[in-house]
Amino acid sequence: MANIKQTPIRESFAKRYRARFGHLPWFKRYECLIPLSIIILLIGFLLLPPLGKPTPLQWLWIGVFLILLILWVVGILTDIEKPRWIRAIAAISFVFVLGFFFYRYSGAQWDKLTTNFFNLSVMEGLWGDLGQGLLMTLKVALVSMCISLVLGLVIAILRSLNNPILNVFLIIYIDFFRAIPLIVLVVFVFYALPFLGIELDPYISAVVAVSLSYAAYVAEVIRAGIESIYRGQVEASRALGLSSMQTMRLVILPQAVRVVIPPTTGLMVGLLKDTALTTIIGLPELLYKGIQNTIWQSNPTPLVAAAVLYIIVLLPLTRFSGYLETRSKKWVKTAR
Amino acid sequence: MGEDRALMIEVINLHKYFKDHHVLKGLNQKVYKSEVVAMIGPSGAGKSTFLRCLNRLEEPSLGKILIEGTDITATRTDINKVRTEIGMVFQSFNLFPHLTALQNIKLAPINVRRMSEKDAEERGRQLLKKVGLQEKANAYPDQLSGGQQQRVAIARALAMQPHMIFFDEPTSALDPEMIREVLDVMDNLAKEGMTMLVVSHEIGFIREAATRILVLADGCIIEEGTPNEVLKHPQHSRTQDFLSKIV
Ligand SMILES: Nc1ncnc2c1ncn2[C@@H]1O[C@H](COP(=O)(O)OP(=O)(O)O)[C@@H](O)[C@H]1O
Ligand SMILES: [Mg+2]
Repeated sequence: MANIKQTPIRESFAKRYRARFGHLPWFKRYECLIPLSIIILLIGFLLLPPLGKPTPLQWLWIGVFLILLILWVVGILTDIEKPRWIRAIAAISFVFVLGFFFYRYSGAQWDKLTTNFFNLSVMEGLWGDLGQGLLMTLKVALVSMCISLVLGLVIAILRSLNNPILNVFLIIYIDFFRAIPLIVLVVFVFYALPFLGIELDPYISAVVAVSLSYAAYVAEVIRAGIESIYRGQVEASRALGLSSMQTMRLVILPQAVRVVIPPTTGLMVGLLKDTALTTIIGLPELLYKGIQNTIWQSNPTPLVAAAVLYIIVLLPLTRFSGYLETRSKKWVKTAR
Repeated sequence: MGEDRALMIEVINLHKYFKDHHVLKGLNQKVYKSEVVAMIGPSGAGKSTFLRCLNRLEEPSLGKILIEGTDITATRTDINKVRTEIGMVFQSFNLFPHLTALQNIKLAPINVRRMSEKDAEERGRQLLKKVGLQEKANAYPDQLSGGQQQRVAIARALAMQPHMIFFDEPTSALDPEMIREVLDVMDNLAKEGMTMLVVSHEIGFIREAATRILVLADGCIIEEGTPNEVLKHPQHSRTQDFLSKIV
């Protein structure tokens, strides 16, 4: 006798789809996202105005387009179950659209971009001058780094002695220099101190202002590092008969350095950037040279060149400090 | 007992306050050379504070402490010098994490005793051998087990050739299987005649090695005697109570 097999009824496509994607909120589901993509594309190609200043109605369409696009991007990017390539496309196209809109509707005269921003003929003979500026920037930065690191370390160590009278002065110093905007301090040192008979040239003024200010930040970072060292370390050291200075030098600082290096590197990057503020007292550093040549040439290409030089110097440094940050997190994790 | 031997520690009417919290209430005690004095008592009794006053990791509030005849509470006393004669072993080891085992041991002899690098190295290796860790000389603390770290910490204390060693619950942060290796090292030290003050609740070790037991409760020594007396026939009801909980 032939067995009559019951063939299982195939689950309907809709049912399987619901089982697979039913837990997602509506704006993350394909039945929403796919029509949405089509609507966005239709608006994009049919209703968006061309290059130029849009009319109010056209602005309305641009707004609708952007809102729908954001909904679409959020729907895709917030769903980690979506394939990587779909999420990559969403992210890239979003950034691309924003850039494209800026290009199209900002009203900028793009034809002037190359002649005014990237005009290499303007730069002829100016690279040396900008190079001088860069050297001055680096010189002020390096000297200020050394002074602020040493001064900050001394302040932090004095602070860790917990001498109440000394602490009052140290706290006043730290609070004062952290509260005053650096640019105000720079201007004050250069323009106001001469009225007391203290005349400093722009270079010394810049170094003094930047060093004093950053020493306060460095002191706070190092103090936090010192305080992060477990109390038992001090007790073990003192119990062995080491003096408090030996304990600081041999036990606490070597451990604190590891904690402190990443944030201090970050501070030093900030210091290098902030030397640009000293342009206001006429110090011939990189920004100053950029501005000066821009005025002389009536063309901002030197300013663009200065910006590019800043980025070339600073990008590796910011990367490096970020790298130290992640590495020290690992170290701290394995140490305890 | 042992009055013919040298008096190592003499504590006279020691009081300690933290703010207005009265933690030690007038302790008197004499410890002679080669004694192994075990201190037991409930948590918060003041055992750690007592030990830490003896090398002035805590400042005594009132009273007198003589270490080998030197009054350490006197202002003219160089406490760093006194501390070199006292080894201290902590519950949480407190090894220096940035130094290897050998460097941990060498640090104080070189910087405090002004010993030469070579001599310190040699003594360091001898001590590591003594605690059974000669092959771990170049390991960092985080590469060592708890028991190994504590043995390095003991070697570090011994490197100063102290006249006495204080142990503050040296095995209570250890996993059970590591307690033995640390107690063995301490046992050997006791046999060599080291003067030791040990806060510990390892009754087996106390029975074996201790010459005397102090029972602390609420900042007072409520009972003292040989292990036999105190463990077998505790007089004070709080001692009986406490022993019944830990044995
Ligand atoms: N640094 C401190 N500051 C304030 N109180 C403390 C400090 N150290 C210990 N104490 C208090 O002193 C008492 C005794 O502590 P401790 O000597 O550590 O006891 P034990 O070691 O016997 O458990 C406890 O009540 C504790 O809270
Ligand atoms: Mg304790």
